[in-house]
Amino acid sequence: MKNRLRVLRAERDWTQAHLASLVGVSRQAIVAVENGKYEPGLSLAFRLARAFGKTVEDVFVWEDSEPAGV
Amino acid sequence: MYKLLLVMLTRLTEPDRRTRARGVFEGARGFVLALAAASVVDASAAWALEALTLTFPSRILVALAPLPGNLALIALVLRRVRALDEFQRRVHLDAVVIAFLATGVAAFIYGYLRKAAAVPPLNAVHVWIFMSVTYGIGYAIAARHYR
Repeated sequence: MKNRLRVLRAERDWTQAHLASLVGVSRQAIVAVENGKYEPGLSLAFRLARAFGKTVEDVFVWEDSEPAGV
Repeated sequence: MYKLLLVMLTRLTEPDRRTRARGVFEGARGFVLALAAASVVDASAAWALEALTLTFPSRILVALAPLPGNLALIALVLRRVRALDEFQRRVHLDAVVIAFLATGVAAFIYGYLRKAAAVPPLNAVHVWIFMSVTYGIGYAIAARHYR
């Protein structure tokens, strides 16, 4: 799963620490999500999306190599 | 007595709420205070068992004296862990798993070496020290992995 966190944050000129305080997590969590090392749970994904005024699908992109259930 | 202890543990292990009044043992400072208090009781009990001539029931009571303090420490640590965000919990989980498995492997190896009469009897506190060290190593590995 890819995400547009870094791009959206740069557009708003937010620091990782600022975003972390907005969604109530540690800066390390933001670093890990941005670097694709950690996939957030639903709750954090929604909070991140809401912080940017976007939907979850706008922020996180699911990359499925094979269509599911086909 | 046990009921009171249970109520205390339940209240201590509730996740931190901003609306709740902050207690004496809140935060890192509170943890250090509780740790210091528990350590004093631990050291006093160890000293009493070594230096004083106690009857059998008294020895048991003195030996168990550190238990409430140590249970309170467990409660405080649980409370801190529950206040962590999901990512921090993941890192700590990785560290716990590494420490648990490393200690398990070490215990088996030590058991075989004991059967081979290659090592002396071990003080149980060394297991705790080993687990603490491997937990620290595990935490460093996990933090590096997710960076």
